[in-house]
Amino acid sequence: MRRRWTDLSDFEAFLDKGGIVEADDDMPDAYRQEVFRFIEMHANSELMGGLTERDWIPRTPGLRHKMAVLAKTQDEIGHGHLLYMVAADLGVKTRAEMLEDLFAGKSRFHNVFHYRAVTWGDQIAIAFLVDAAALATQQAVFKNCSYGPYRRILKRIITEEGFHMRFGEERVLRVAEGTEFQRAMFQDSLDRWWWPAMQLFGPDSKPDDVLMRWHIKSERNEVLRDRWVQKFVPLLHGYGFTIPDPDLAWDEEAGRWSIGEIDWEPLKRTLRQGGPDSARRIGEAAANWSETRWVREALDRVAEQREAA
Amino acid sequence: MRIYEVFLKRPGRDEFRHAGSIEAADDELALVLARENYARRAEGDRLWLVDRDNLVVGDGEFVAPNADKPHRHNDGSRVAERRQRLREENA
Repeated sequence: MRRRWTDLSDFEAFLDKGGIVEADDDMPDAYRQEVFRFIEMHANSELMGGLTERDWIPRTPGLRHKMAVLAKTQDEIGHGHLLYMVAADLGVKTRAEMLEDLFAGKSRFHNVFHYRAVTWGDQIAIAFLVDAAALATQQAVFKNCSYGPYRRILKRIITEEGFHMRFGEERVLRVAEGTEFQRAMFQDSLDRWWWPAMQLFGPDSKPDDVLMRWHIKSERNEVLRDRWVQKFVPLLHGYGFTIPDPDLAWDEEAGRWSIGEIDWEPLKRTLRQGGPDSARRIGEAAANWSETRWVREALDRVAEQREAA
Repeated sequence: MRIYEVFLKRPGRDEFRHAGSIEAADDELALVLARENYARRAEGDRLWLVDRDNLVVGDGEFVAPNADKPHRHNDGSRVAERRQRLREENA
């Protein structure tokens, strides 16, 4: 009864016609693996991002923003939760296996969560630049994603990421209109977070990128990055901040900003868990996972009692 | 642990819609988890949770034969054509 395709080209023809794949379809294994890898990394990034956010709850200035950071932490952990459910339904790894792999340093998560947020300015840079970059990549998946369960859950995630981004915009406005100290603090953060945000989009997409061919992603990395640059350069300049790229230039003829060459070494290091803060972050998450083992065990008892009843 | 499918109804006249799934130890915890995962901003005023094992599923292939029943539709094109013709004649 499960939907199946005779071969890969039959499946690709289905995708090219706008076909949507569901969890109980007999999809080609390569597609299953690719979609799983993508969602698992997204889930890991939400969880690791949520843990970073949590670190800032006691340190966030002002009650309104503190409460917003609390809400954002809930959102990110919630997104991780939803995405792990969608990923687990692909039957490649269970949710527990994905978490164990993440905390053992065997799985990938977004490069930006391999750096440490030291100042409140860093938190603003994350909410303003990084969340916007992540949101742009998610929107490019949501637009036309061939895997139905992922696309449906992305709708909710994107709505909530929008709240985070608007808080980021408001905070940038506040520091921009703030004291010299606050402006210098944000400029320092911008200097450190600009390039990681650029790298978040990934290297230019290869012509034969299967994520594009199978309609998982609908836009190329370099296109998304460029659109983000065109939006953020004037915004940051407008607030009076400088962008840490000596080769950033305005192309009068094209009416566009062009950026300097991106060094991909830092991104590669984060993919090997060798970023500046990778070890501490994974270590803390792993410690938290083992400290909360008693909760999971208590829940297992509840489940057993229910089965016995 | 059990997997529950979560259905959410927005306030007003909307129907229940599938929101996603959650994993929980029992019904009570499942409800709390569903509220905190799918209705953090009161996106709905009612939740239905169904143990996934209790779902009766009709998949795409089961429904497919009904994609080929044009006699169950009427797009009104014959009548629209006549109206269009009359409008042009009277113009």
